[in-house]
Amino acid sequence: MENKLIVAAAPHLHARESTARIMWSVSLSLLPAGAAGVYFFGYAALAVIIVSIAAALASEWVLQKLTRRQTTLSDGSAFLTGLLLAYNLPPGVPLWIPAIGAVFAIAVGKQVFGGLGQNIFNPALAARAFLMASWPAYMTSFRAPGFDAVTSATPLSALKEGHLQQVYSYLDLFMGNKAGCIGEVCVAGLLAGAVFLLLRGYITWHIPAAYLFTAGIMHYMFGHHGMFSGDWLFYLLSGGLVLGAFYMATDYVTSPLTAKGQLIYGAGCGLLTVVIRLWGGYPEGTCYAILMMNAAAPLIDRYSRRRIYGTGKAR
Amino acid sequence: MKLPAEFLKGIIRQNPIFVLALGLCPVLAVSTSVSNALGMGAAATFVLVGSNCIISLIKNVVPDKIRIPCFIVVIATFVTIAELVMRAYSPALNRALGIYVPLIVVNCMVLGRAEAFASRRPFLGSLADGLGMGAGFTLGLALISSIRELLGAGKLLGYTLFPGFKPALMMALPPGALLVIGMMLGFFNLLKGRKE
Amino acid sequence: MNVGQFLAIFISSVFVSNVILSRFLGLCSFIAISKETRPALAMSSAVLFVITMSSAITWVIYRYLLIPFDLAYLRTISFILVIAAFVQLVEMVIRKFMPALYRVFGIYLPLITVNCAVLGVAVLNSDMFFSKGRPLPGSFQLSIFQGICVGIGYALAMLLMSAIRERLEYSRVPESVREFPLAFVTASLMSLSFMGFNGFKF
Repeated sequence: MENKLIVAAAPHLHARESTARIMWSVSLSLLPAGAAGVYFFGYAALAVIIVSIAAALASEWVLQKLTRRQTTLSDGSAFLTGLLLAYNLPPGVPLWIPAIGAVFAIAVGKQVFGGLGQNIFNPALAARAFLMASWPAYMTSFRAPGFDAVTSATPLSALKEGHLQQVYSYLDLFMGNKAGCIGEVCVAGLLAGAVFLLLRGYITWHIPAAYLFTAGIMHYMFGHHGMFSGDWLFYLLSGGLVLGAFYMATDYVTSPLTAKGQLIYGAGCGLLTVVIRLWGGYPEGTCYAILMMNAAAPLIDRYSRRRIYGTGKAR
Repeated sequence: MKLPAEFLKGIIRQNPIFVLALGLCPVLAVSTSVSNALGMGAAATFVLVGSNCIISLIKNVVPDKIRIPCFIVVIATFVTIAELVMRAYSPALNRALGIYVPLIVVNCMVLGRAEAFASRRPFLGSLADGLGMGAGFTLGLALISSIRELLGAGKLLGYTLFPGFKPALMMALPPGALLVIGMMLGFFNLLKGRKE
Repeated sequence: MNVGQFLAIFISSVFVSNVILSRFLGLCSFIAISKETRPALAMSSAVLFVITMSSAITWVIYRYLLIPFDLAYLRTISFILVIAAFVQLVEMVIRKFMPALYRVFGIYLPLITVNCAVLGVAVLNSDMFFSKGRPLPGSFQLSIFQGICVGIGYALAMLLMSAIRERLEYSRVPESVREFPLAFVTASLMSLSFMGFNGFKF
């Protein structure tokens, strides 16, 4: 986005970009990963996705009616929030979980702050943290791929408890043949969508690159068998790291504005993710890391904003 | 002002929690269950009434410059009494409330009433004010804690109300406390806005 | 006494049991002064200084005055008086010798006396690092370290919150949640994100 901000005198060309266009494009780019999730986990996953989106749209509409604001369902942001929330849930959860989560995301994560563009925290992640704190039992029971609904641990949680029985090949991890949340398992699908977003210029490389690079280095340094022995590729392909780095951390509203700020923000996300994964109580730290950096984003913006030319020292 | 009015204003119109937003730390910390909240409300009311009375009696003796330290000593004395009584007769409650009992000393509500009211009003008025503020504080605490206990544990005063209900644990944790108080303050603002 | 103990205190005081977001101490000042970054920073540094010093002073009082004379029940009253006197002293010294510094955070000093975080840490130290009237090994260092960490946790929450609220100034927030209610909701979400550090171990 950065290099497109060119200030010039009139006449200007009208660009066809709009909030709605971007939101629907991001939703479209998430399609392959979601399709893979449904392929691996069956119709239960599809039901979670549909309920989550429907609840998000409904609560957005109701809240905007109640506060007498213009209803903005067609801008796609509530749709995207519902979709992202569903992607962060285990496939077998009871269907009231995505419903309550989506209501929380829209009401507390977004509308309380004044609606689209004003929220501090990523609504979908705030809702996930809320669900995790409220109903941990449902939120941590995963199932193995396939239609038989066999419960299984995710690669990260198995590793946390110290027994990784099944050996995952990198290909399995990459294609999504593993237990996990609906949208995070298929790294290939996520990357395909991310390439589309990068090429269209809807996201820039700064945050994902800083995020993945920091996380990779940290995982390599603090391996299980001493320093500089970590299986960094395994960690990068497991859990919600790729989904978080490309789709959640890059949310325009909740991330810093300048390139420098975005690099700091991405590195902070990576650092916190790995710290929580390796030493924290939870197997996966992506959600909390991004939320914490969301809280820090205004501060990063404050100290990394460009000074106005000719005004002397930055205030 | 008449005594009943002094008493009643603390309960609704100048409720220390929802309207004045005073003394929130214990409110958030101990409102995980209704019984804890009632214990805290009783202790705070005792301190509030006691300190209001004494301060109103000694207000003409105390030099103006050192009045705040004097008030703090009076308040701390009552807090110590409350602490010792609680430890002797209800050790379980004392453990549950933990450091929040000694912290009544620095509760802005108690010092605020001493400074703003008791130090310039007669004895009976201060007594009524202390009782009213204490009652308002206890009621507010009871309200918040019932919401949190109901949503966070599915219980009220320890009894399960809806057997099939899956409680949202977060409401019993610190973020839940902050969320509930934020929502309630917003709700009271909304009511105030409607009235005007 | 080992490094692990110090690290545990650090993580616990700064994140998991953050004074403001989890123990709710110093909440009044947190809500009142976090509207802008600059005063928030000044207030945080004042609190950091006072908490650290008062942790040390109250430890000495507790260890060498209250315990030997069997006066532990006077803990609350003596701690608050010592803290009030100390804050008063600091204020006078700064006003006399460092007027520039006084202009930056002098006005916040009187508020700190009744900041529950300061007394809270003193009481917490005497609960955590004394057992049956005897100091645990290294309790003096641990008390001071806990004071510093709590101060850092306070500063962290304060700084993040002030930058967030500066940004919220420009938002079209619903009228009824403007200011305090929204500050609490934001604090709630921050507290939720800090829960990611639950169950930390090395």
